[in-house]
Amino acid sequence: MTETAAKPASSRGQSLRSRNFVSRLIQYVLLQALIVIVCIVALRHPLAEPPSRTLVTAFSLKDRDAERSVTLPDFVASRLSMNDPALYRGSFNWTSGEAHGAWSVYLPRFTNGVEIIVNGIEILDSRRDPAANRPDRATPEIAVIPASLLRDGPNDLVIKLYVWGPVSGFLDRLYIGPDEVLRPYYEKRTLVFVTLPMVFSAWQGILAVILIVLWAVRRHEPAYGALAAAMALGAIQALLPTAVDQTAHPEFNATVIASSGPLESGFVLAFAILFFGRKWPRYGPLIFLPGVLLVLVGLFGNPEMLRQAFVVLGLPGLGLNLVLLALVVAWSELRRQDVPSLLLGCAVTIVLTCWVHDMLSVLQIIPDHRVFFTGLSRSAMLVAIGAGLTWRFARALNRVDGFAAHLVIQLREAEEKLKASFAREEVRARAVALARERARLMRDLHDGLGGQLVSIVALSERGEGGAGVGDAARAALKDLRLVIDSMDDIGGDLMLALGSWRDRATAQLRPHGIALDWRATPPGLPVHPELRPWHVIQIVRILDEAVTNAVKHAEARRITVSIETLSDSSSSGCGCITVEDDGKGFPLASGGAAAVERQAARGLRNMRSRAARCGAAFELISGAGGTSVRLTLPRRFPDGDAVAG
Amino acid sequence: MIMGIANDRIGGKLHRKQLKRQAGRDAMTASSDELPAQDITVLLVEDDPPTLWRLQDALAKAGFDAVAAATLADARASLAQRTPRVLLTDLQLPDGHGVDLIRETRQRFPETEIMVISILGDEESVISAITVGATGYLLKDAFPTDIASTVRDLVAGQSPISASIARFIVRRTQANAEPPPGPPLNTTRLTPREIDILWGIAKGFSYAEIAGHLGLSRQTVPGHIKSIYRKLEVHTRGEAVFEALQQGLIKL
Repeated sequence: MTETAAKPASSRGQSLRSRNFVSRLIQYVLLQALIVIVCIVALRHPLAEPPSRTLVTAFSLKDRDAERSVTLPDFVASRLSMNDPALYRGSFNWTSGEAHGAWSVYLPRFTNGVEIIVNGIEILDSRRDPAANRPDRATPEIAVIPASLLRDGPNDLVIKLYVWGPVSGFLDRLYIGPDEVLRPYYEKRTLVFVTLPMVFSAWQGILAVILIVLWAVRRHEPAYGALAAAMALGAIQALLPTAVDQTAHPEFNATVIASSGPLESGFVLAFAILFFGRKWPRYGPLIFLPGVLLVLVGLFGNPEMLRQAFVVLGLPGLGLNLVLLALVVAWSELRRQDVPSLLLGCAVTIVLTCWVHDMLSVLQIIPDHRVFFTGLSRSAMLVAIGAGLTWRFARALNRVDGFAAHLVIQLREAEEKLKASFAREEVRARAVALARERARLMRDLHDGLGGQLVSIVALSERGEGGAGVGDAARAALKDLRLVIDSMDDIGGDLMLALGSWRDRATAQLRPHGIALDWRATPPGLPVHPELRPWHVIQIVRILDEAVTNAVKHAEARRITVSIETLSDSSSSGCGCITVEDDGKGFPLASGGAAAVERQAARGLRNMRSRAARCGAAFELISGAGGTSVRLTLPRRFPDGDAVAG
Repeated sequence: MIMGIANDRIGGKLHRKQLKRQAGRDAMTASSDELPAQDITVLLVEDDPPTLWRLQDALAKAGFDAVAAATLADARASLAQRTPRVLLTDLQLPDGHGVDLIRETRQRFPETEIMVISILGDEESVISAITVGATGYLLKDAFPTDIASTVRDLVAGQSPISASIARFIVRRTQANAEPPPGPPLNTTRLTPREIDILWGIAKGFSYAEIAGHLGLSRQTVPGHIKSIYRKLEVHTRGEAVFEALQQGLIKL
C-alpha cells in the first residue's frame, strides 16, 4: 500500500525534477547562445580605421623568386626560414607644400615581423619589439619617416615581411600620412592589443599568488592548486620573449609559450572538475597530454618541429579542453545553480567563441584582419574566476557567521536543558533525601519512643502507676531528645554528640546516686565526614543500653566512660569508646530463666546488632568486678542507611 | 575623634555596669551559703498545671519562695508587685510568648536571673530566649533535686550551659557560605578563648578539664560562660535590627 502510494509520488517528483532540469537547460543554452551572438557581433565589428586617403594598398610582391602585383591585405605561405622575407614594393606621394608635420607609416596588423624601408633607408624593424613578435597579439607598429628621406612626388616604400611558422604570413592594409592623423589609431590599437593584455597578465600573476597561498593553507583542496598552476603558467608565458629575440634560452621560451595554451586550459579544466565536486575521472590526466607532448617536442625536437606540433596538438588541445570545460561547467550550473559556475560558464562561452573565430581566421576561412582574440578573451575567464572565488569566500564567511550564531543558540539551548535537568535532578535528590530521612525518623521513633509510649499505655491500663510509668515516660522523653539531637549537624565530630549524651546520662544517673566518670583523652575521637545521624543514634543507643544495664542490673556505684583514639601503624587511628561499671556483672550465657537475664540478653543482642550496622567492633566483658562494654569505631562508617532496619 | 570619645564613653558605661553586676554577684556568691533558700524568690510561669505543680513542689521542697503564674498577664502582674530573684518561664503561653516576658524582665530588672523551662531543650526555643537575656534552660522533666540545684547554682552566679547549646553556638562561629537553619545568632563578639571553652563544653569536657587544657583557673570558667551569655544577648530592639542587618537577615 505504502509502496504503491510512494511510487507515483516519487515518479511525480522525478518528472517534476526532470522538467525543471530541462527548463534550466534551455535557459542556460539560450543564455550562452545570446553570449555567442554578442561575441560574434563584437568580433565582426570593424575596428576603427584611419581615413582612406592615407591608405596604401597597391604593391608588387616578390616572394620566392615569383613577382606579382597584390592588393593588401595579403597572405603569404608559412615558411621555415626566418631569413626569407616576402618583399612588398610600393610607392606613395608626398608633396612638401601641403605637409606641415611629420609623416608616418602605420601598420595595424602583420605577422610575424616587418621591416619598412623608405627610399632605400630602413625606418622600422618590428623584430626588435618583443611585444610585436607574438603572433597571437595584434601588435600595431608606427614609424615616423624622417623628413630628410621624403621627396616631392612619389616615394619608394619597401616592406619586408618575415614569416616564421606555424601561421602564414599576413600584411594588413597600411597607412601613410601625417603622424597626427595616424597616431591616435595606433594608440587605440596599442591600448587594446598590448597594454590591456599586460594588465590582465599582471592581474593573472596576482591571482596566481592568491591561489598559491590558498592552496598552501588548504592542501586538501587540490582544485586551488590546479587553478594556481594555470594562472602562474598564463602569467609567466605572457612575459616571456619569443624565440626571435636575443634571449638566453630561446628553446625553453618557445616550449613554454607553445605548451602554455593547452596546459593552462588543462589546469583550468582540472580545477573545474575538482571545484564543482565531480569525481576525478580515471582518464583525467589525458587532458594534459597535448601540453606534455608539446613540452617533450620542445625539449627534444627543433623549433620547426615544435611549431608544427603546436598546430597539430596545441590548438586542438586548447579547443578540446575548452569544450570539456564548457560541458563540466554547464553540468555544474544545471545541478547546483550557483554563481561561480554561471560566471565561469559564460566566460568559457566567450573564450570558446573567440577560439573558433581565431581558428577560422588562421585557416583563412573568414575574411578578416587576422586579429586573434583568444588571448584577450582570457580576461573574461579571469574576471569570472576572481568574482566566483570572491563570491565563494563571502558565502563561506556568511556561513561561518551563521554557524557561530547557530552554535551560540544551540549552546544556550543545551545550557537551558542542562539547567532544567539539573534542577529536576536536584528536586528529585531532595525528595529522595527527604523520604529517606523521614523513613529513618520513623524507624528511630518506632524503635524508642513508640515502644516506650506503648509500655506506658500498658502500665497505666494495668493500674501500675508510679515509678514504672514515670521511668517509661522519662525514657521516652530521653529518646525523643536523642532523636532530635541526632538531626543536628555535628560535622562528623562524634565528640559533639557524646557531649550532649554526657549531659543526659549525668541527669539520668544523679537520682540513682551513680557517679559518671568521664575520661576523654585528647584529641578525643577522629572526625568522620561520612558520619550520618543514624550512625550517631545507633552508637548513642548502645551507650544508653550499657548505662541502663549498669543502673538496673549491676547495682553499680560508678560508671566510667573512656574516649580515646587507638593509634596504630596507620596515620589515622580508630576511635574507641569504653563504658565500664563497678557493679556485680551478669552471666553472659542466655540460658537463665530469670526475667532480668532475659532482658539483659535482649539488650546485649540489640547492642551487638547496632554495632554491626555501624561497622563498629563490639566487645563485652562481664565479671564479678563489673562489666565493660568496648566499642571500637570503624575507620569509615558504612553508607547503608537503606538496609539498616 | 568624636566617635572615639563617644565609643569610650559607651565602653566606660558598659564597663561600670559590668563592674557593678560583678560586685553584686560576688556579694551574692559570698553570701549564698548563708543566704536562706526562703529568701530567694522565684517567679514560675508555666501554663500546664501538672508541670507547674511539679516544679513548684520541687522548689518549695528545697525551700525557695516560689510564686506561680499561668499566663503572661499574671506574670506581669506579679512582676509589678515584687521583683523576683529568679524567673523561670515557659515560652509558649496562652496569651503571648515567653520571649517578650524575658526581654521586659531583663530590661526592667537586670538583677533577676532568667531561665527558660523547656520540654526538649531544643535550640529553637533556648537560643531565642538567650538572645533576649535568659541564661540557660531547665528541662520540664528534670528531677526535683536537679531543679533545686540548678536554681541554687544560678543564684550563686553559675550560668549552666548544656553541651547541645554550646554545640549550636560554636557551629555558628564556623564560617559557612549560607546561614545554617535555626534562630539567628550573632557570635562575632565572642573571643577565641570563649569559643574554645564552648568547644570543650560541646565535646563533653568538664570545666576542670577545659580549664586544664586552656591553662585557666577552674574558677574563671563560669565567668567566661556568663560573658558568653551576655555577648549573645541583643539588648534593644534597635540593636536587634542592626545585628540582623549585619548578618544579612534583613535586606533594606
